[in-house]
Amino acid sequence: MAGDDEKVKKTPQTGAAGPRKLDRRDVLKGLSTVPALGLFGYAWHRQRQYQQARIEEAAAAPVAAGDVQEINVALLGAGAQGQVLTDAMLRIPGLRFRAVCDVWTEYNQKRVVNSLKKFKHEVNAYEDYREMLDKEKELDAVVIATPDFWHSQHTVDCLKAGKHVYCEKEMSNTLEGARAMVTAARDTGKRLQIGHQRRSNPRYLHSYEKLLGEAKLLGRIVTINGQWNRALTPDLGAPDRYAIPEARLKQYGFRDMHQFRNWRWFKGLGGGPIVDLGSHQIDIYSWFLGVNPSAVTARGGNLYHDPATHEWYDTVMTVYDYDTPVGPAMAYYQTQTTNGSQGYFENFMGDQGTLLISESDAHAAKVYRDPNAPAWDTWVQRGYITAPKVQEVKEKAEGVTDVRESVSPDEHKVPIVLRDPVHQPHLQNFFDAVRGKATLNCPSEEAYATAVAVLKVNEAIEAKTRLSFKPEDFTI
Amino acid sequence: MDGTLELGESRGGRDVRRFTHEAMATVFEVHAVHPDARYAAQAAQAAFELADRLEGELSRFRANSDIGRVNALSAGGSTSVSPSAMDCLVIARHVFDLTGGAFDVSIGTGLASLELDADNFMVGTTRSGVRIDLGGIGKGYAVDLMAELLEEWGLDLALVHGGFSSLLALEAPAGLDGWPLTLSDPADPSRVLARLSVSQTALGASGLRKGDHIVDPRSGEPVRRRRGAWAALPRPVEARAGARADQGPRIAPAAVADALTTAFMLLDPGEIEALCDRNPGLEAWILLDPADSRHGEASLLHFSGTPQAPPPAAGRPQPE
Amino acid sequence: MEDGKLSRWQMIAITVLRVAVGWHFLYEGIAKLSSPSWTAAGYLKQARGPFADLFKWLASQPNLLANADLITMWGLSLVGVLLILGLFTRLACLGGIGFIVLFYLANPPFVGYFYSIPTEGSYLIVNKNLVELCALVVILVTGSGRFAGLDVILHGLFGRRTPSR
Repeated sequence: MAGDDEKVKKTPQTGAAGPRKLDRRDVLKGLSTVPALGLFGYAWHRQRQYQQARIEEAAAAPVAAGDVQEINVALLGAGAQGQVLTDAMLRIPGLRFRAVCDVWTEYNQKRVVNSLKKFKHEVNAYEDYREMLDKEKELDAVVIATPDFWHSQHTVDCLKAGKHVYCEKEMSNTLEGARAMVTAARDTGKRLQIGHQRRSNPRYLHSYEKLLGEAKLLGRIVTINGQWNRALTPDLGAPDRYAIPEARLKQYGFRDMHQFRNWRWFKGLGGGPIVDLGSHQIDIYSWFLGVNPSAVTARGGNLYHDPATHEWYDTVMTVYDYDTPVGPAMAYYQTQTTNGSQGYFENFMGDQGTLLISESDAHAAKVYRDPNAPAWDTWVQRGYITAPKVQEVKEKAEGVTDVRESVSPDEHKVPIVLRDPVHQPHLQNFFDAVRGKATLNCPSEEAYATAVAVLKVNEAIEAKTRLSFKPEDFTI
Repeated sequence: MDGTLELGESRGGRDVRRFTHEAMATVFEVHAVHPDARYAAQAAQAAFELADRLEGELSRFRANSDIGRVNALSAGGSTSVSPSAMDCLVIARHVFDLTGGAFDVSIGTGLASLELDADNFMVGTTRSGVRIDLGGIGKGYAVDLMAELLEEWGLDLALVHGGFSSLLALEAPAGLDGWPLTLSDPADPSRVLARLSVSQTALGASGLRKGDHIVDPRSGEPVRRRRGAWAALPRPVEARAGARADQGPRIAPAAVADALTTAFMLLDPGEIEALCDRNPGLEAWILLDPADSRHGEASLLHFSGTPQAPPPAAGRPQPE
Repeated sequence: MEDGKLSRWQMIAITVLRVAVGWHFLYEGIAKLSSPSWTAAGYLKQARGPFADLFKWLASQPNLLANADLITMWGLSLVGVLLILGLFTRLACLGGIGFIVLFYLANPPFVGYFYSIPTEGSYLIVNKNLVELCALVVILVTGSGRFAGLDVILHGLFGRRTPSR
């Protein structure tokens, strides 16, 4: 366009300029690069349009988020885990905190209320959850992070009050309690998600759907081992000046402040490390294998702590048997609380490869191909796994018939980076389900099956014998 | 740096309990006076768990930390961060301005391109490639918060430090004016340069051993201007647990001292002096390299904005 | 005329080179003009090499910096337009060379210099700036504008009086 204008303007001038020096050929040569400017103008215009569209897109996004139906949320249980869940929820758009309930009004309740205030959530604080349910009529959902022995009652009452519930694992310290939760969810038709947050972790979902499901990288999984080792720490305490009065402690089922802070170690309140830690990972065993265990053998004991203050076992080693559709499998799990060696991970071993996976970035997820397994090039090309780290193969100088000392398998990384707090995707899934835009990744039926498998470990330790499961044990 | 700041022989030592924990690639310690050993250990453990939680939010090595997410932003992007990460970034920018860019948590990748919305805890960036490393401030911030927690627990006679590079002294043990501290030569830790006695004071230390350099964020070049630098700030009453309104920015003297020492490794003595003059209570020490020093021996320069009398809370240096 | 020494195809190639370099200059200028927050301060502050102090001093003078920003944005655009059109080609080449020399000197890839910001590619002494500078020298000495560009017309208009008489 610009070029044409120039031409119109210049041509008469050049015409008057004398033919000898400036003939038609010269004029054409003179203007020959002008169209490039037009082309530049066009490209620049397109670029601006593109940038403008991107800016509008970005500007439009928050508006769309505002359209999302706001969910009114309450936190029931403002301890360490409740604070972790709150931090993750603060990053999820479309939530409005309305209430916080905790019996430790002097400390934890105040801390969470204050941190919510920073994020401009004006919340009412309650000590008694029933009062909260009575007064907070507009609540849509309750997130429960109370001690295990309160889960069932809290969840059932919230569901019956018409709230959707996200409840931390372990569902309950008893199977009766867990069953009541499943039934209440069915009866009320409300969503009940249990906090096995690995089920929504992109790293685990990718491994389950793509690596095991589609690519079947491991072949047949025959053995699994996993652990959560935790270094020795002192028992949890509480600032003296914020101690809860004894009467209130008793009212809520605690003997004293020590038991209130360390309920996980007490029978009738929690389930010990195997339930606190193991439950997360044994849940993954069944999920990845696609079946519930058929039997469990376990040893455990208080090898280090005083059983008077630590009623549950500080050390547990357990073996599960599985009958999978492709054959038997066996899974080992250990947890101990005196040494944090290697932290926590789950390791799935098949006849074609190994998947080492963890919620922790220290292990993240890696797959190792057995040297005799079919090539994984397709999956590398599709981006399911990274190209293998080249393993050095020592060849003999003669090189002809080198006997390789057992070749180490190729190590591939699972290229999934989680940039959000680990509980956020699971909470997001719950709220999406509340809005009817997703199905729960860990509905109560699934979590119940895990509770059956995990709570049986403590039974097996006590019984000192191998305990079998019947398939109907896992269903309600 | 380890070894340049040490807790001296504590004459009240018999009552002082010491707890140790690894976090943020260094060793944190709590020294506290309390009659109940178990209670003190539980308080220290709560403080250490706080440091671990902060590491999870502030470490650039964790993909899902606040800083990990900020570092992954591309131009025009934004992310929400925790109040702690926002505090650190706000303090970092403040010290950046205060020191003319000698302390730069982005190491020259463009701190100015970060948009900090402290009211909504959102961090945005106007350009890609900004990389934040809170290494020079995160330890100090952790020390500040740990000290507040210890006060909540009633451990008022306490001292917290992270690798002796950031330290916060609360009230001193009974019978002492302050916690006894020494500043020593990074190249020769046995050579004590000064002795301090501090309480309600934050201290930061930086030092270079033989052959070490630090990168000047203003030029991107590795430099070696001096062997060590220390900064001390009195801890205002408002910083104490419970004294602060829950809204508004946190007062974090150890974080500021931590950041300032990094800058003091680079700034000219004149600039440090001017900074101390403008900020009553701020004290600085720098140890010149022998090459820069007139007498051929590493000499210690001390700056204090209040020459008449030292601020009530800060310590008095007593040169060896 | 100088272009007599070069073949037609050689001249066409050089003209294409001229338009390409001009395009790059124009876009560098326009992109800066359309970004309200752009300033050379960041680039200058990171300057190193023999003239680093000068550049850093420049970055620290707000008045000078504002002028430098304006000159850079408009200068780059103008040089770009002139190169594309082939108008005042030699002057444009000299201007472009001037800019590139400044850019190059602010961050020269000399032995032993490293940068806190990773740059794409790997350079030792010769970087893309220097290559573009060489291209401008070629355009300058071959008088590309008088082969294909508005300089032909200018030359025709003013050339009437000079060599023909």
